[in-house]
Amino acid sequence: MSAIVQCSDVWKRYGKPARGIKELLVGRRKVVESRYAREWALQDVSFEIERGSAFGIVGHNGTGKSTLLSLLLGTILPDKGDISVNGRVASLLELGAGFHPDLTGRENIFLYGSILGMSLAEIRAALNSIIDFSELEGAVDNPIRTYSNGMIARLGFSTIIHAPVDILLIDEVLAVGDSRFKEKCRRYLHEFKARQGTLVIVSHEMETLADMCDSGMCMNMGQVVVKGEIHKVLAQYQELMKFSNARKKGEVV
Amino acid sequence: MNDRIRHFFELLYLLVQKDLKVRYKSSVLGYLWALANPFAFALVYFVAFKIIMRVQMHNYSVFLLTGMFPWVWLTNSLSQATGSYRNNASLVKKVNLDRAVLPLGNVAHEMVHFCFALPVLAIFIYFTGGEMYGAWLWQIPLMILLQLAMVYPVALVLALSNVYIHDVEYLVGIGLSMLFFLTPVVYPVTMVPTAYRHYFEWSPLAALIENWRSVLLHGSVNMPMFMHCVTVAIIVAVLAVVTYRKTASKLGELL
Repeated sequence: MSAIVQCSDVWKRYGKPARGIKELLVGRRKVVESRYAREWALQDVSFEIERGSAFGIVGHNGTGKSTLLSLLLGTILPDKGDISVNGRVASLLELGAGFHPDLTGRENIFLYGSILGMSLAEIRAALNSIIDFSELEGAVDNPIRTYSNGMIARLGFSTIIHAPVDILLIDEVLAVGDSRFKEKCRRYLHEFKARQGTLVIVSHEMETLADMCDSGMCMNMGQVVVKGEIHKVLAQYQELMKFSNARKKGEVV
Repeated sequence: MNDRIRHFFELLYLLVQKDLKVRYKSSVLGYLWALANPFAFALVYFVAFKIIMRVQMHNYSVFLLTGMFPWVWLTNSLSQATGSYRNNASLVKKVNLDRAVLPLGNVAHEMVHFCFALPVLAIFIYFTGGEMYGAWLWQIPLMILLQLAMVYPVALVLALSNVYIHDVEYLVGIGLSMLFFLTPVVYPVTMVPTAYRHYFEWSPLAALIENWRSVLLHGSVNMPMFMHCVTVAIIVAVLAVVTYRKTASKLGELL
């Protein structure tokens, strides 16, 4: 009952649409054989996440982690199975998707906030707090094409955490700004959890996951290998890494 | 539901504001560019048809401009909106927003431009011996709504189909320049040979442009043409809703 996210038997396959009139006319493309070209991006994935907890997802590149986050976010739909998400979701998949380089920091906060689903009134109310958190007071009225990548990421992060959100999806972007700001973000995410916010984190940094998460799962080739308590999952993942490294060496020899 | 609608319009407002700010901030002439495009086109056709080919027509410059302004709104918004999903792939893939808002943003942005240019057009009409009508106060907003209702569904369908077939972008470019000459923008329908007249009676774009002229030059809405446009608007709206329902949820994985 307290599960805020529930995935049951989710399958996802990417279609291969024709990419232009030429391909429509010429017909099928070559079939590529590789682990990235498997038929199902996700196979029979089931898990649930408790409200107020952090859930870590580990696995090789191209194993379906980001697909899973997109499904939770709702930008793509599953082919089979059910996903129920009982709250407002925002993703830190790409900080500042929708930022425009020629607008000032302040103008971008409004645009990005609205894109994230905030109302104008909510943005106005949060504006000062957003600017404070980003520590960009002096630069907020300059166009963001003059910002460094770190500053843009700060602005994006500060905006997103002020959106009224129950579930935050985080994909490899805990590396925001300098180490001091990173620490600030880490503290914020712990606070968010303490306020019954839910985190879903995809990362390759074992320490981050061990620090933030309560439970998690390890994926391989679109399937869940193991799920449960985070340390168990991480241990299993390291085993898997060793195994696949060994196999790769074997192939070379 | 109410919240969703309010948020849709707030986001639309911010998107249009963004486009306007970007357009005006980054250029020296700013607002004047809203006028430059239709005036430049009109000038070219004035030289070509009035001075070189010597079309016998009273007040040809005003005739040209009254057709050119709505046409520029139409073409600019359609050609921009066609790319609105492909050019904003990160928004479509990484944020769960109401996807119908993106092409509407382009159409609305061009609409605001058109509205900015209207006073200049009115002054031009006045100084070339035309009349300014009080009835414009309701006729012009009505015509703007009509054009919006005709253009937005088409823009939405083009934007969606461009995600499936990339060539749509190029086809739209070619199609619009052909339609420009198949629509009475630079010539009056009366000059068309009777054998081809039935096409112009059928063409909704001809009805739209003719109606704009009727309003701007004579201060009256042509009711049969208006109803013809409304019918077309309803048809394309149904088409757009069906297409959107079928395809919008798949955009995230196609881009």
